[in-house]
Amino acid sequence: MTDRTRILLLLGPALLLVGGMVLSALGLALLRSLHLFPQLAPDLSAYVAVLGSPGFLAALALSTWIATVSTALAAGLALAIALLLRRGFPGLKVVSVLVQLNLTVPHVVGAVGILYLVSQSGAFARLAHAAGLIARPSEFPVLTQDPYAIGIILTYVWKEVPFITLILLAKLQTLGDGAEQVARSLGATGWQSFRLVLLPQLLPALAAASALVFAFAFGAYEIPLILGAHAPEALPVRAWRSFTDVDLSARPEAFAISVLVAALGAGLLWLYARLILPNRDRDAG
Amino acid sequence: MRLEVQGLRLAYLGAGLATIRDLDLVVEAGSLTALLGPSGSGKTTVMKLIAGHLAPDAGEIRLGGRSLLGLPPERRRVAMVFQDPLLFPHLTLAGNVGFGLKLRGLPPAEVAAEVETMLDRVQLAGLGARRPHQLSGGQQQRAALARALVLRPDLLLLDEPLASLDAGLRDEMRSLIRRLQAETGVTTLIVTHDQSEAVVMADRVALLLEGRLAQVAGPAEIIRRPATEAVARFFGGVNFLDGQVTGGTFTCALGSLPLATPGPKGPARVTIRPEALRLGRGELRGRVTGVTFLGTQYRVELSVAGQPLMALVQAFGSEGPAVGADVALDLPAEALWRLPG
Amino acid sequence: MRAETLRLLAGLVVALALVLPLVPLAIWSVAHGWRFPDLLPQAWSGKAWALALSQRGGVLESFGLTLGIALATTALAALVGVPAGRALGLYQFRGKRAVLLLLLAPAILPGIALVLGLHDLFLRLGLVGSAGGVILAHLVPVLPYMTLVMAAVFTGFDTRIEAQARSLGAGPWRTFLTVTLPVILPGLLTGALFAFLVSWSQYLLTLAIGGGRVQTLPLVLYSYAAAGRNDVAGAIALIYLLPGVVILLFTARRITGHSVGLELRP
Repeated sequence: MTDRTRILLLLGPALLLVGGMVLSALGLALLRSLHLFPQLAPDLSAYVAVLGSPGFLAALALSTWIATVSTALAAGLALAIALLLRRGFPGLKVVSVLVQLNLTVPHVVGAVGILYLVSQSGAFARLAHAAGLIARPSEFPVLTQDPYAIGIILTYVWKEVPFITLILLAKLQTLGDGAEQVARSLGATGWQSFRLVLLPQLLPALAAASALVFAFAFGAYEIPLILGAHAPEALPVRAWRSFTDVDLSARPEAFAISVLVAALGAGLLWLYARLILPNRDRDAG
Repeated sequence: MRLEVQGLRLAYLGAGLATIRDLDLVVEAGSLTALLGPSGSGKTTVMKLIAGHLAPDAGEIRLGGRSLLGLPPERRRVAMVFQDPLLFPHLTLAGNVGFGLKLRGLPPAEVAAEVETMLDRVQLAGLGARRPHQLSGGQQQRAALARALVLRPDLLLLDEPLASLDAGLRDEMRSLIRRLQAETGVTTLIVTHDQSEAVVMADRVALLLEGRLAQVAGPAEIIRRPATEAVARFFGGVNFLDGQVTGGTFTCALGSLPLATPGPKGPARVTIRPEALRLGRGELRGRVTGVTFLGTQYRVELSVAGQPLMALVQAFGSEGPAVGADVALDLPAEALWRLPG
Repeated sequence: MRAETLRLLAGLVVALALVLPLVPLAIWSVAHGWRFPDLLPQAWSGKAWALALSQRGGVLESFGLTLGIALATTALAALVGVPAGRALGLYQFRGKRAVLLLLLAPAILPGIALVLGLHDLFLRLGLVGSAGGVILAHLVPVLPYMTLVMAAVFTGFDTRIEAQARSLGAGPWRTFLTVTLPVILPGLLTGALFAFLVSWSQYLLTLAIGGGRVQTLPLVLYSYAAAGRNDVAGAIALIYLLPGVVILLFTARRITGHSVGLELRP
């Protein structure tokens, strides 16, 4: 057996299954959104309708806001925590078990937990009442089903900070502190050696992890379903609602949304590949 | 500048770092001193203490008269080159070498000029635009050296700079370090576990055993006149004779032997290096108990009046003695060294 | 030391923040009514747990179904992902980058980008509404994790030990079982852990492909939460956490950034 056949046999099932399903799904969504299927009546009406609808634009803006803010907060916090944790301290074991535990928590559980924590009758509101800050639930700030999607963002930050932290800690461990010590002995202050030597080496990993977090926060359904407002609604919620609308004519619009999201995802995939794959190829070669 | 280390002490800090106990060490201005010791003896710990990556429990470190303690690493004017080149992967070769100069606020044109001169001196001219991963191991190590030297530090610390190199590249790097040190006159402390490396490169050798300095001396001195049995053994000494010194002679199992530097009378332990034993002539007779061919030498094990001795003799043009043969041997007075204390 | 204290404090804050959202869930699960201003419920009750653990509540059945789907998905992913990881880890070939991108895509593409198209595809294949369909669909987000973990494992794999086993008289199948499998097992278990957790957490994909007839735990949890049964939702949420906790505490599998790799999102 030549290497070529061997590779084909080894890769075949995975490519057929995942490649087949992914490409068919994307292809079907594209055909449907362009009215090429099931009947051939090509037009761009779905895209015109979607792009011209204030509801869509608001949903797009909201999802972009959610993903951007969640990613920025999670990346910043994770960087700070990773830098603090890498030196080790007495409770490190406990924290590291909790971090790993958090990774196993399904997002739905996180969302419901955050709901019971920060809603107007939630645990924080009760604490505020006990502290004499508020008298009625309605006086507590609206953090769920709110226009700024604070609860949603809190859930993503809560779930994704540990994820990015673990990736950064692994990278820090690989890097060691030799390069920083060299920088110090070449005259760099602690801050300079962080900014000029450590941070540039961490950045690809941080950016790659952030791309994943952004994609997830942009496209996940259940978190905005539980914590989001009815209007504006997050893009995935809107897409699924159009898709399951009793009015079947809304379906091409749902497919158009999913195609647009896929285009954004392709951009993220490209960014991710640029950050990660060159290293992989070099490692493998 | 002269480096003085006095009473330096550091308790155990965790895996990978040895204890340092009351270390005194002087590196004369402009000299190249080797800090030699087996792995785990605390060499790297001493380096990190001098460079400022660790703080001692007690003691003093002075460079050119000023105390370094309490100064952060970047203000010590001590440049350190690690065992691994540790080039910054996100910078070009020129960016790496110019790193420290740029931090000092030198104008870019001056930085570029200095970098170019330096790259030329370490035979990396024209490679400034390359990334570290595009350089060979030897080139990377030279770049790390250039990155430190370009700052004209008061003290250059080299931590096993040859350890990551192939045998062929070591000689080249060794002479490059020697030459650059001579040209720049930078006070240099080089850490190594390799005795031949220390002896070949350094003006002075400081032998560190179990966190303490066992001896500091010139390379020839430390081999010929070891301060302790441990020092002698570290450099391959295997022949030790116990006996009494009376007048100018040493009386032991082998009989009376004249000593060049007898010292006071009393019990004494005397050592002689295996390559200093002469076979085939002399007053003493011994029996050959074992012969091993080492390529350029024979290692000959002898029994002389019940005392085991070992000799190294040149293999060139000779067959080497046969096991069981009786041979004449001579222990020259100038090669016999009475261990002090 | 100041830095030491700061680290300890930061660690405490992080630890607290990590468990905080789980606290109200736990309290709700044993509360007998928990009206607004009360910091703790006035009365405690095992009612929610009784319902969650009874046949009538359907939670146990749903737990079994979710577990079955996750295990089946993991097994399938291993069956397909180990060979693929071997090809990616051991060989250099033309188009490798494209293959990697394609296999990576479902882990990076936002969920909503694929779900609608997959629903359409599965509808055409007659797989909507069945657990089998859901398992097949879960392979889409799960397989990238398995494949990439295995690719990393095989990058460090020395095929000479297989050649050695063959020259000592072992057949290909025996070589795989007695030599290859033991070597890749730690990595395979890590990959399986991720595969399991990814399938275990799926929401929209199950909702879409299950067509409402495959009621996994997250769907049941949501329906109780949406119905305002906070106590039952709390109990289900804790039950839902169980496998993750068990895997972490009893298998000594460590989730590190190394095993997560850069390619992976749990």
